[in-house]
Amino acid sequence: MINALSYSLFSIGIVFWLWGTLPLIGHRSVLYKLHSLSVADTLGSMSIVVGLLLRIPREWPLLILALISLAIWNTVLGYVLAYCSSHGGGDV
Amino acid sequence: MNFVFFAMFLILLIPIYEAWQDEYIWQKMLAFASIATKTSIMILFISVLRDDWMIGVVGVIILSVGNAALMLLAHVIRRMNEL
Amino acid sequence: MSDEFYVVAIAALLPLTALMLVLQVNPYNALVIRGILGAVAALVYALFGAADVALTEALVGTMLSITLYAVAVRSSMSMRLGVIAAEPHPDNERHDIPYPPEPLLSALRHMLDQHHMRLERVAYPSLPALRTALRNKDIHAICIGTETNESALLQVDHTEPYHIQTRLQRLYELMQKDIPSTMASLSYVQPNTLESAAIASADSQPSPVEGKL
Repeated sequence: MINALSYSLFSIGIVFWLWGTLPLIGHRSVLYKLHSLSVADTLGSMSIVVGLLLRIPREWPLLILALISLAIWNTVLGYVLAYCSSHGGGDV
Repeated sequence: MNFVFFAMFLILLIPIYEAWQDEYIWQKMLAFASIATKTSIMILFISVLRDDWMIGVVGVIILSVGNAALMLLAHVIRRMNEL
Repeated sequence: MSDEFYVVAIAALLPLTALMLVLQVNPYNALVIRGILGAVAALVYALFGAADVALTEALVGTMLSITLYAVAVRSSMSMRLGVIAAEPHPDNERHDIPYPPEPLLSALRHMLDQHHMRLERVAYPSLPALRTALRNKDIHAICIGTETNESALLQVDHTEPYHIQTRLQRLYELMQKDIPSTMASLSYVQPNTLESAAIASADSQPSPVEGKL
């Protein structure tokens, strides 16, 4: 039961990864790619980590830490990358 | 489990190809961001696969530190475009 | 068997990204690829069970070395061009025009872009300060307007509106190739002749009035 659930979470995560990463190829703007990357990639990674958590609940503090750092860092990183790539000529 | 890992490996190839073929630096940075997250998730996956607590700790540290390196680099590159 | 296979596949990523890194021409792109190489290397080390090596690669090999190299590349791959600070004219508002005019400036930038360098302008208050800075190797080249009487001090005859003097042979060759001679005249001074010539006027230490323009 738990095994099937974690497998389905893995496959959802991999589908999300594929969805977020495939737009990288192709000639779209940086912001468009960043959007799909930050939303779909983070969701995919989080679903994979939850799948791992179901499989080995013993390591929960570590995996919860991974979930939190994924959620926070990827959001901040998306913001920073968008700011830096669009303000290329600006001062500060 | 091995099959899931192999699928992750195949997806990892996509941003590597993108970093190789695109000359614009911010596209390379996006590919780097994608690779940094994916490799650390794969390290976490390996740690669960092998039931190795130590590799898991390293994976989580790399997950947070790799992103910090990316932000530092992004700011330096933004400064390069000035002037 | 399948266990062996994915280990080999992931280990093969390491030489692949290393080859990508070596083939890069632009130093900034190479830094980004170095980050990718570091991430892949950490994955390979973790796959082989070397958690400590993976951690060191991520912390030192990727984060610290990339940051240090980025700062080093940024500060070394630049041409510092000394100019005389433009005096604000009270009667018109043209004083904020960049001192080397736009065609010359963009020609210089275009030339430096081909070699992945940046142009940095440093403003000095007067011509002697400019020359002292050139002799002290604070700047790589100086750019002056030739219709003013300042240029008489340099003893160059010219029909061009601007004159660029550099102390670096390589920079001189590059500018000779890429700066149209109608835009500015060029000259190269040997650093040691600069030293002897500037002793007489080396009374005051120059200070840039504005750091970076």
